Amino acid sequence: MTGAVAVADAPLSAASRLMRLRRIDLIGALVTLATLLGAVVWAFPLYWGLVTTFKPETEIVQPGVQLWPRDFTFENYANVLTQTKIGLWYLNSLITSGAVTIIVVAMAASAGYAISQLQFPGRRFFWAMILASFMVPIPALIVNHFVLMSQFGWVNTLQGVVAPQLIAPVTVIIYKQFFDQMPKDFREAAKMDGANEFQLLFRIYLPMNWGVTTALAIITFIAAWNLFLWPFLAVSSEEKLNVAVGITQVHDAFGVQYGRDLAVAMLAALPVAVVYLLFQRRVTQAIMLSAGIKG
Amino acid sequence: MSPHAAPHVELRRVTKRYGAFTAISDLSLTVDKGSFTALLGPSGCGKSTLLRMIAGLEPITAGQCFINGAEVTDVDPAKRRIAMVFQSYALYPHMTVRQNIAFSLSIAGASRKEQDARTQEVARILQLEDYLDRRPAELSGGQRQRVAIGRALVRKPEVFLFDEPLSNLDAKLRVQMRLELAKLHAALHSTMIYVTHDQTEAMTLADKIVVLDRGRVAQIGSPLELYNRPANKFVAAFIGSPSMNFFRVGLTAVEEKTASVALPGGRTARVGLGAPPAFAEATVDLGVRPEHLSLVDTHDAEAALSGRIGIVENLGNLTLLYVDTPAGQLIVEGPGDVGSKKGDLVGLKFSAANARLFGADGATL
Amino acid sequence: MLKSKRAEYFAAAVLMAPFVVIYAVLFVYPTIKMVELSFTNAPLIGPGRWVGIDNYWRLATERLFPTALWNTIYFVILSALPSTLLALFVALGVNRLKGWTQSVVLAAFFLPYILPVSVVFRIWDWMFDHDFGIAQYLIAPLNGGQRLSVFRTVPLFMPMVALVTIWWLMGFNVLLFIAGLRNISTEIYEAARLDGATRWAQFKRITWPLIWPVTVLVLTIQLILQFKIFDQVYLFTQGGYRVDTTMVMVQYIYRQAFQLNKGGLAASASVVLFVLIAVMSVLQYQLLRVRAQR
Ligand SMILES: Nc1ncnc2c1ncn2[C@@H]1O[C@H](COP(=O)(O)OP(=O)(O)O)[C@@H](O)[C@H]1O
Ligand SMILES: [Mg+2]
Repeated sequence: MTGAVAVADAPLSAASRLMRLRRIDLIGALVTLATLLGAVVWAFPLYWGLVTTFKPETEIVQPGVQLWPRDFTFENYANVLTQTKIGLWYLNSLITSGAVTIIVVAMAASAGYAISQLQFPGRRFFWAMILASFMVPIPALIVNHFVLMSQFGWVNTLQGVVAPQLIAPVTVIIYKQFFDQMPKDFREAAKMDGANEFQLLFRIYLPMNWGVTTALAIITFIAAWNLFLWPFLAVSSEEKLNVAVGITQVHDAFGVQYGRDLAVAMLAALPVAVVYLLFQRRVTQAIMLSAGIKG
Repeated sequence: MSPHAAPHVELRRVTKRYGAFTAISDLSLTVDKGSFTALLGPSGCGKSTLLRMIAGLEPITAGQCFINGAEVTDVDPAKRRIAMVFQSYALYPHMTVRQNIAFSLSIAGASRKEQDARTQEVARILQLEDYLDRRPAELSGGQRQRVAIGRALVRKPEVFLFDEPLSNLDAKLRVQMRLELAKLHAALHSTMIYVTHDQTEAMTLADKIVVLDRGRVAQIGSPLELYNRPANKFVAAFIGSPSMNFFRVGLTAVEEKTASVALPGGRTARVGLGAPPAFAEATVDLGVRPEHLSLVDTHDAEAALSGRIGIVENLGNLTLLYVDTPAGQLIVEGPGDVGSKKGDLVGLKFSAANARLFGADGATL
Repeated sequence: MLKSKRAEYFAAAVLMAPFVVIYAVLFVYPTIKMVELSFTNAPLIGPGRWVGIDNYWRLATERLFPTALWNTIYFVILSALPSTLLALFVALGVNRLKGWTQSVVLAAFFLPYILPVSVVFRIWDWMFDHDFGIAQYLIAPLNGGQRLSVFRTVPLFMPMVALVTIWWLMGFNVLLFIAGLRNISTEIYEAARLDGATRWAQFKRITWPLIWPVTVLVLTIQLILQFKIFDQVYLFTQGGYRVDTTMVMVQYIYRQAFQLNKGGLAASASVVLFVLIAVMSVLQYQLLRVRAQR
């Protein structure tokens, strides 16, 4: 486009561009509006579930949409806390999820370090095995996990809940990737300073990758807390249930009581929701990492 | 170089191969106690590899390494009583300066009290006392450099190894740290082996320079020896800035200490010889440094070459002139107030003592 | 050298030991046992007789397993594809927002993802409750003024569970898409705008070519994940009536092993599931590799 033409066209094109800009802004505004609306729709079920727990049962079953409790009450929570074993389930969840997290992270960091930094016979074989186990659906193993746990006498025990959750190839893979990226100089400097492999791992490699460890620990914990299928199969007595499975038992025990059913569900979600809100960035990072996208 | 000092570090016929690639071939080297030895050479010539073999970080393919007369070829890096300062500094980012310096002591299981005392002492020597509780990320380049040295110092090693320690600093700081290193060496009298590709660093710091060329020793000598009596064309070209001028000449007559050569352009010149060559070579390379060429009138009897000035670079205290002659473009270093300008026709002269002849294999004649 | 090599092997042995033990006992051994079990008529616990491929033959010929396989595929189609596409739209929208608005909106879409499945079940069970569910205000007009128990209406069951699943898990996809979108520099868009590219042209020429690899990745992750469906289907059919018509594969395994005590048959169904997912994972792995090589 030559200058002369541009000048000649100027008034017209300016006007038409303005029109187009306006139209585009309209589209943009509509998209934004739709997004905001979508977010409200997405958040609504959670809100509705939460707000219901603060209504007395009589108000819950009344027709009409009551967005805020007319009669704000904690009685559902009080009922749940006194009438169910939720305290015990919380404890069970805390113990099993904590154990899974600690063991998985420790094991993955050690194995990831060895595979990344050490030369030893079988290194390639183990790495291939980890990549292979990444492709295996754990639910396909439930039958034989159960058989194995019964051979150990671990059915209906907390260690029986923990054991099959310890297969976490992704965690090893992520650690290996991070250790691979560490500059060689740190390793050599520490070696010259007299550090052995264990000191290298615990005093240099792990502390320098603290962020990854936190991220992995958090999502391992959340996943263990939320796990349903295996604890559901492995546990038969109410005393050994975790929260995620336990809350589905309330219904069976007390019959339909909406407020109470939802209150116990909200209590089950509380720890993971808090952990997520506190460590949003780490959770996001961990999810990217496990999907193979560098965060 | 003291004549009585026993070799502190010695490499005997050392070879390093990476697969089919030979990084160091059949190299022998002695480093005297208390000396400051520089390993100098262009990038990729094997300096770091050599240093890392002395440190024990790189296994030696063939040959032996001795420290203090004892063979250490297969000894763990931590047990060689040596310390190394890395090019990247390799400061542990999650530790404070204090923890960085004390790390080796804490690994060795030294008591808290001893760790503190020695860290304080090192910090005092390196003027790091005010920064002990900072992390590396909160330090300037020069301070990081000092922490890296402090981490080496605290172990009281017999030998210090430096791998291009100043290359991450800006020019001004580099000069300053160079002086500090010289002071440190003077104060500690420890043996220091220093890798660099920067000839200025090597020339100013070292009392002995080992010039490496593609995994072999090109020459070992004091800075002035390398400058004045380069053993071969590689060293002659590498040492000195701007680089030595080289051009082809014909050998016409050889005497005891001098040779006559036919220069491009038809004139002849006399050039000093180290020793009479065992065989007569028809054509050889003549090398003369820019600072040893001077401008004369084209008709001057002493003018060896003549040509036209192509480019003039005035650097204030001196001037670099690029003169197009029948021998190719030659660089001439003149005084800052040189009267010539671009396009001038000039003659060039040099003295027999300042020119060198190099044979076909590159060796100095 | 020799001594330090030995120290290295020792360190490797110590560091690898927990991993090797756990994987051998909890992964390799059960996998081998699963294949072995699938060729026997053993109960869940206890010995059985070798029956060759009888179990696999039964899976192929009896009606229930093909139904479960079909229901699983049906569910995967209903959940994986829509949640991927929807997530792309949401990500494009969220990516336009800035600062705290973006954080809040993103959190709204993502929060369900971190909830336990049983909580998700409780919330939606309440939303769709036949008598008091708020969703009935939308459903009744569509159903001729009648309330409808959607999870007890067979043709609606899978779509409704898929809907709940999309609500639950879509945040994960959104997150991956946003990461992909953030990798596109704004300068490219500015240059395109100066060139007069329309919004649609920008999307087609810039966004889509750069985002489709992420789309493929998200889709394959979803396919593999949804193939393992059990929890939601089980919870929404709690009570045990008319389970067969809506049964999925893992549920079939659960039924055979834990309710009918047919370990061999359950193991053979597990092997089928195992192979199906392994094949999909290999495809996904190849895809990731191709992506990594760009
Ligand atoms: N680990 C290695 N594997 C293969 N080749 C290497 C390795 N380390 C160094 N080299 C090669 O050896 C040569 C010397 O390297 P180095 O000692 O680092 O050179 P520099 O003199 O620049 O310090 C280079 O050509 C380099 O490519
Ligand atoms: Mg180097």
